[in-house]
Amino acid sequence: MISLTERYLVAALRGIPERQRADVEGELRSSIADAMEDRVAAGEDRAAAETAVLEGLGNPARLAAEYAGRPLYLIGPELYLVYRFLLLRLVAIVVPIVFVVLTAVELLGGSGYIGALVDGAGGALTIGVQLAFWVTLVFAFLERADAARDARDEIVGATGRWTVDMLPDAAADRVSVGETVGEVVTVILTIGGLLFLRNLSGVTDSAGEVVPLFDRALTDVWFPALIAILAATAVLQVLVFAVGRWTVPLAAAFTLLELAFAVPVIGLALNGTLINPAFAAELGWPPLAERDGPVMLVVAVATTLVTAWEIFDAWRRTRRTPRAQAVAGLGQTLS
Amino acid sequence: MVDEEVLGSHRQELRRGTIVLACLLALRTPGYGYALLKTLDTAGIPSDANTIYPLLRRLEERGLLESEWNTDDARPRKFYRTSATGAELATQLMTDMSTLTASLHTLNGGGTR
Repeated sequence: MISLTERYLVAALRGIPERQRADVEGELRSSIADAMEDRVAAGEDRAAAETAVLEGLGNPARLAAEYAGRPLYLIGPELYLVYRFLLLRLVAIVVPIVFVVLTAVELLGGSGYIGALVDGAGGALTIGVQLAFWVTLVFAFLERADAARDARDEIVGATGRWTVDMLPDAAADRVSVGETVGEVVTVILTIGGLLFLRNLSGVTDSAGEVVPLFDRALTDVWFPALIAILAATAVLQVLVFAVGRWTVPLAAAFTLLELAFAVPVIGLALNGTLINPAFAAELGWPPLAERDGPVMLVVAVATTLVTAWEIFDAWRRTRRTPRAQAVAGLGQTLS
Repeated sequence: MVDEEVLGSHRQELRRGTIVLACLLALRTPGYGYALLKTLDTAGIPSDANTIYPLLRRLEERGLLESEWNTDDARPRKFYRTSATGAELATQLMTDMSTLTASLHTLNGGGTR
């Protein structure tokens, strides 16, 4: 029967580089024998002495890692903050974009809204998991591969030295999680509401058929576009959060999205093609849907005002930041 | 009364910082792994085999220790000896250690005055 010591040596040497193996084996063998001899001389049973010595050395995999100088962690403290920064930013930026693009592609391909949203979410989840896996793998490799030592030193050197310039802006300037969540939830509720009301109004005609609330011009032509724009707005809000504040490009993109949503809505309202005339008739108040009716006028004016305020607010919050600070952006979040 | 666990972990931290110095000082007289463990133990610096053995190898890789296989005995053993660089380092660290101890004594005296 193979002795415990031999089995221990095999287990420990497995994790030691080839060139050191013979040396470490000889040293461990003599050290174990020395320690056992001492215990036996002190009157201990040989088998008990062997067990005690080997258990004193502990898990052979750990011992091998100590010998080989391998870290016993996946990503160490030097790289961890860079790793976390990259992972969170990548996920925050890529996942929403994938979600919107996939959903839009599905919608354009003629899928139903629910199906498109489910496919988009599924694709976004897959991409998120893939991102997390590959980023982690790369960093684990950087942590332990000798060949990657230069790259690791470069990363640590470029991001390790902290200066006061990297201090984040005052908390008040920073877009908060609650704010972003609020904006995104609003968009999701709006999309959900639009989809829900598409085929439902609570009003039925004499034959018992449902009379839709919206005009067909809205549901048939503009619905996909408006929903895509709303979804893009949500993604933009997440981007703003990821960046930490409103920037000129973000505010410009937001302005375009707001206009892309508001212009058709105002146009439809002023054309009298927002609310289904049959719905208004069934309700007994035809002016509700009429192009010159008071309701459509209010809708047009209110949409204009709200959109103008949203755009103004985005620009108001856009802070011009010095270029140096933008360059230090990486370090900024590490602090 | 200081908690046993707290005391233990802080003692370990203190020893961890001095174990390299202890090895460099002890191995100015050549010795092999197990013998060094006993020497340190006798000197009042108990340490674990699985800490000392890999440490000896690392110190050797950095040129602070030199090694030689002794095959005269029935059991071949790897003997380590503190190198010239290692001895120099040990002298400097020993000075630092003395300064540190003196500083701590000063702080201690200052605290009870």
